[in-house]
Amino acid sequence: MKPPVFDYYDPETLDEALDLMDRYGPEAKVLAGGQSLVPLLNLRLARPAALVDLNRIPGMDGIHLEDGWIRIGAMARQWDAEHAPEVARHLPILAEALRFVGHPQIRMRGTVGGSIAHADPAAELPALLLCLEGEVVARRRDGMRVIPAKELFVTYLTTSLEPDEILTEVRWPIPPPGTGWAFVELARRHGDYALVGVAVLVRLNADGSVAEARIAFTGCGPVPVRAEEAERALRGARPSGQLWEEAAQVAACSLEPPSDLHASGAARKHLAAVLTARALMKAAERANPGGKR
Amino acid sequence: MSQVVGRPIPRVEDLRLLTGRGRYVADLRLGGMQQVAFVRSPYPHARIRSIRAPDGRVYRAADLQDVRPIAPRWEGEGFLPTAQPPLAEGVVRYVGEPVAVVVAPTRYAAEDLAEQVRVDYEPLPPVPDVDAALSPGAPRLHSDNVLYRRSHVHGDPDGVFRRAEVVVRTVIRSSRCTAAPLEGRGVVAWHDGSTLWVWTNTQTPSLIRSALALSLGLPECAVRVVVPDTGGGFGQKMHLYPEEIVVSWLALRLGVPVQWVEDRRENLTASAQAREERVEVELAAGTDGRLLGLRARIVGDVGAYHVYPTTAALEPLGVAQILPGPYDIPHYAYEVLAVATNKPPTGAYRGVGMTVGVLAMERAVDLLATRLRLDPVEVRRRNLVSEGRFPYTSASGLVYDGGSFREALEQVCALADYEHLRKEQEEARRRGKLLGIGLACYVEYTGLGSTTFRRRGMTEVPGHEGACVRVEPDGTVRVHVSFSHQGQGHETTLAQLVADMLHQPVERIRVERVDTAASPHGSGTFASRSSVAGAGAVLAAAGRVRERAQAIAAALLEAAPEDVVWEEGRLFVRGAPHRSVTFEAVAAAAYRILPGGSVSPGLEAVAYFDPPPATFSNAAHLAVVEVDARTGSVRILGYFVAEDCGRIINPLIVRGQLYGGIAQGIGEALLEHAAYDDHGQPLATTFMDYLIPTVWEMPEDVRVVHLQHPSDRPGGFKGMAEGGAIAAPAAVANAVADAVRAPVTRLPITPELVLELVCRGSRDGVDRTADPA
Amino acid sequence: MTTRLRTIRLTVNGSTHEITVETRKTLADALREDLGLTGTHLGCEHGVCGACTVLLDGRPVRSCLLFAAQAEGHEVTTVEALGTPDRLHPIQQAFWEHHGLQCGFCTPGILMSTVWFLQHHPHPTRDEIREMLAGHLCRCTGYLQIVEAIEAAARSVGRKGP
Repeated sequence: MKPPVFDYYDPETLDEALDLMDRYGPEAKVLAGGQSLVPLLNLRLARPAALVDLNRIPGMDGIHLEDGWIRIGAMARQWDAEHAPEVARHLPILAEALRFVGHPQIRMRGTVGGSIAHADPAAELPALLLCLEGEVVARRRDGMRVIPAKELFVTYLTTSLEPDEILTEVRWPIPPPGTGWAFVELARRHGDYALVGVAVLVRLNADGSVAEARIAFTGCGPVPVRAEEAERALRGARPSGQLWEEAAQVAACSLEPPSDLHASGAARKHLAAVLTARALMKAAERANPGGKR
Repeated sequence: MSQVVGRPIPRVEDLRLLTGRGRYVADLRLGGMQQVAFVRSPYPHARIRSIRAPDGRVYRAADLQDVRPIAPRWEGEGFLPTAQPPLAEGVVRYVGEPVAVVVAPTRYAAEDLAEQVRVDYEPLPPVPDVDAALSPGAPRLHSDNVLYRRSHVHGDPDGVFRRAEVVVRTVIRSSRCTAAPLEGRGVVAWHDGSTLWVWTNTQTPSLIRSALALSLGLPECAVRVVVPDTGGGFGQKMHLYPEEIVVSWLALRLGVPVQWVEDRRENLTASAQAREERVEVELAAGTDGRLLGLRARIVGDVGAYHVYPTTAALEPLGVAQILPGPYDIPHYAYEVLAVATNKPPTGAYRGVGMTVGVLAMERAVDLLATRLRLDPVEVRRRNLVSEGRFPYTSASGLVYDGGSFREALEQVCALADYEHLRKEQEEARRRGKLLGIGLACYVEYTGLGSTTFRRRGMTEVPGHEGACVRVEPDGTVRVHVSFSHQGQGHETTLAQLVADMLHQPVERIRVERVDTAASPHGSGTFASRSSVAGAGAVLAAAGRVRERAQAIAAALLEAAPEDVVWEEGRLFVRGAPHRSVTFEAVAAAAYRILPGGSVSPGLEAVAYFDPPPATFSNAAHLAVVEVDARTGSVRILGYFVAEDCGRIINPLIVRGQLYGGIAQGIGEALLEHAAYDDHGQPLATTFMDYLIPTVWEMPEDVRVVHLQHPSDRPGGFKGMAEGGAIAAPAAVANAVADAVRAPVTRLPITPELVLELVCRGSRDGVDRTADPA
Repeated sequence: MTTRLRTIRLTVNGSTHEITVETRKTLADALREDLGLTGTHLGCEHGVCGACTVLLDGRPVRSCLLFAAQAEGHEVTTVEALGTPDRLHPIQQAFWEHHGLQCGFCTPGILMSTVWFLQHHPHPTRDEIREMLAGHLCRCTGYLQIVEAIEAAARSVGRKGP
């Protein structure tokens, strides 16, 4: 299983990379960590005319906190994000989600930006980005724009990035202090792509009622999905086991998950409800009412 | 006198394997070597209208006119032969079937060239499964779609069933699996002007050599098969494949070395697959749980062609013959069908026939226990053949030479603390947690001899093994055997046998890789035969060397041979220990300084061993699982084994074989499915979809007790190594069924299936033991 | 510098080699074919089995998912750097003593992951070992003796130093 011929470029500046993307357009693919792209090349399921390797461009892998956001350079390795002190302190849900991504050996090379841009329907990070209402920075030769998560994922393996754009940064807003969080996933084996995964945030008012909840699924459709109806239903409600179960049912009802070799759509729907209830319970346990630390 | 057999010595071969110095077929380099890639059918069933090739080395069936197809023979009724041409001729019958072959300087370039070959197919209606194959008006893949059928009646089963107080019936569906060794198949071939060299990671070197010679029209002495280090086989590598023939033909045609290494996609879709049977089992019993009769109908989906040498009959017939298992069942009738479909051929895979037979029988026994509200251990206890009854002839005609069926059951229950487990299960259930306990008792045929292969009709498999033990002039010992290794540690275990026979340290015994120019003829490594058939040959050859060494020593010491005794490293005259010679001196005398004509030169012996029809091992496995009723996940909390594989050569290795087999069994039970859709297209073409177990799927610990009841065979050994793969699917299936209180009738037990079962199991009081599922 | 064929300098096991390769050639193939280091094996070529794992700047990566050209300027470490039959690395020694391999095909990849792992987890728990090992498929051993070998290696590396 050897890759087909392509023109390989490993520019040392972002400008050179953007020039190449401008030149080749849809005929070029960006090579970041390669953990998703290179298998496709080896299987000859992807046949780009050119590969633009970003690995030699310095400064694209930073992880830092700025104005209430964790900004992660697209080329930051998933492993480094998982273990970054800023992430541990301010965005532990990202570390929890990353632990479901493949195995350590994959995460040593796979990148945060690459996973987002690849937009696998069963990947963890796109769903998390949607849950947190994060955004990405996309650069092209003559400009840049910021794309919020809800405008980013279009369909299977497709984002709204233009052919001449490169995703350079992923920005994660830090939830208000005291927000509870959980990322829960079910896969056939640990480390596999999710059958169903769910990212959940729960913020409680001072009186203990739900101020806000966010629920985002992966593995349940061509793109990650927010369970907006369930989120609305939770607002103002009193936490209880029954509340989480009911909200989980509402959330799952809104889904139309695919059927494949590993599970039917109906099974995924059922699993979505089960996992959501568990995630909501976990998130609520981690929440501090009124945002106290 | 220290004995090395029975000790857990670390392996000799590890020193090179650990340091990256193993030489697998992909590692071989010959000057001027070219790379090979195959053009494979994307259709399950199609006519080939034309093949247009670009410039370059591209070959198709028309170029291989004089090459004979793969057409294993079988003696006996009910067999419909098939002939698989090495490159498809006129019609393709499975996705992945080789249609053309290309040669280029690199594998990268070969794949580029392969893509440029334009094959014009006319798709034909596919036969995607057994139901389609057997339906009236189905497309015929050969003159008929039934490649093998056999029926057998012992006693009066119909009468027994009519009169029986209790009848339990179930239909078990095993999924299509594939062996998926980490190293795929591969071949390097080179004709050096007089000899065709073929390096191939085969489990059956002698058979492949003869088959290649026949196929290519060469005398056997002109074909030399050498087996490099092999990364797992599990039965998949025991067959003759079209690619082996084609690559060998290319070497003859091109006059340069050629190399082909299978990639993972090819391995998962074009190498022999396994299992996929539907087994209808009926048990007739008394209200006391005593089994009176057994009836079974076994239908195997065997793919498009017979495999060589064992044929499509191997797997389903194996199920039928082992089905009565360790139970005393006087009446039995079975019907076996091997049905052709548009899938890759079904071949051997660890636990051949036995895995699915044990699955079906152990599920049926548990259903009987549920029906009669008896403990599953008790039902088994009442029916296992007792130790006093051996040799015992089963209702399928197998003669169990020995066994410890009851002892194994008692031991595994003691090891697992069965009573305590049941209490724990009850408590857990009260807390809403579903634990399950599953048993699998089995008997296993190993080390089969020629009588068995002849009786089956399997004429292509000889049944014997051979060994040559040669002492070199410096006293080191070289051993050539007819059977290759794929990780079982033969270089160590066989050396241990010879070391004990010749009282030499293991380090001075060297077991060579198989090379048909140097190794004696034999059948190969499969069906757990090495410690019976293989060891038998090695012990016989080593025994003769030992006698000769004794005679030489006697001549040197001027004593009678019977007065010479052995001690580590030296031979001396009984009662006069100062009159001694070292083994090295004996070797030297054999080759250099001959004591005045009284001893002829040479210190080596060749021996062949055709074992008795079969040697039986047995074991009892017990699995403890936890089922998450809401997500359908199954976790294996504990696993216990009481195994009798006779005398053990190397406990470290035996333990490893058991664990490895259990892992494969767990994979088969919960994860593995080489699935095909209704159009005959494979769905599991990468490791993303064909899921083999990781470390997390194994229980943290597997507790084992060995009952080492020696066999009557040389050394007292029995075969082992398939046990985990034979019993684990049944033990896990029974455990899940026990946890959810609903019958498990098909594999793999996916989360979705568990959720279905949990739904059914919660409908209390419904007896599903008569469910055809 | 061309886009389809390049002459690159690869630093592997401490030595630098100049080779000319197609840019699409994977690091695994370059190691095996151009440098003759066949200890790194190919089990799947899509990043799942881990047999091809080498260290890149000390971190375990799938060499089947890297192009050789990408490794220029980095340090690659393969199993051949660990030890020889006469002088096994302590990790290799532990695998030998605990029967942590059968066919040996997946073993070099596991050894390389273990080298990195024990540097960062000198006193690993069983679960930590399994977390690392889950990135490797083995079809022969059933993993249990591999876990035992890694536990033993941790004790022995701890005594002798990495």
